[in-house]
Amino acid sequence: MSALKELYQQVILDHNKAPRNFRKMEDATRSVDGYNPLCGDHYTVYVKLDGERIADVSFQGAGCAISKASASVMTSLVKSKTVEEVEELFGQFHRLVKGEIEGEEEVERLGKLAAFAGVSEFPARVKCASLAWHTLHTALKSEEKTISTE
Amino acid sequence: MSRDELLAYATEQILTVPGVRIIGTAREKAGVLSFVMEGIHPHDIGTILDVEGVAIRTGHHCAQPVMQRFGIPATARASFAFYNTKEEVDAFIKALSKVREVLG
Repeated sequence: MSALKELYQQVILDHNKAPRNFRKMEDATRSVDGYNPLCGDHYTVYVKLDGERIADVSFQGAGCAISKASASVMTSLVKSKTVEEVEELFGQFHRLVKGEIEGEEEVERLGKLAAFAGVSEFPARVKCASLAWHTLHTALKSEEKTISTE
Repeated sequence: MSRDELLAYATEQILTVPGVRIIGTAREKAGVLSFVMEGIHPHDIGTILDVEGVAIRTGHHCAQPVMQRFGIPATARASFAFYNTKEEVDAFIKALSKVREVLG
């Protein structure tokens, strides 16, 4: 597969065109704005917590295909997971887009996240892919209301 | 071709690509061609053109108020100088049609 096809996989194109959980959440426990000031991507991630578990998660905002698809896939994966499980997933995702997960089998084990393996060939796009994850991480782990990638 | 001729040629050619809108149409401008493509973020345009061997700039260009004025997140921008050629403009336009092909 060419590097471009590897980057813009069907899963990514699909989530970009029809993002899941793309809505404002009025009764969110936490909401955080994430910005990439260099390219202008900005998303708000909303989380409703039930103790240590994510009862609901959604997002809104605008950006490139990679950042929007990543936010969409993320929200569809973390619902009903515990904060600890989400943190582990974030760690795996981060290693994946930085090209630190080697071997097809290891990558495939990540399920839907595997669609983002192609990002590692495009260092300039790593921040696009991880913006929503960093924003969710902030919502779960700190009191900050906004984060910036720069 | 001189810089102005390259700009005029590229301006004419880019309008044949579906969904393209030029941002900045002053009669006397420098050799830059800023544009957006309907439904496609400039960063995705930039990555695809890069793979096709065409280097452009994408983003705010340190001009956020202008982006707000036009209601756009960012633009893609090709620049032309004395060392560029007509063939390079053709390669640029050809790469742009690839963008729609990749992103659907």
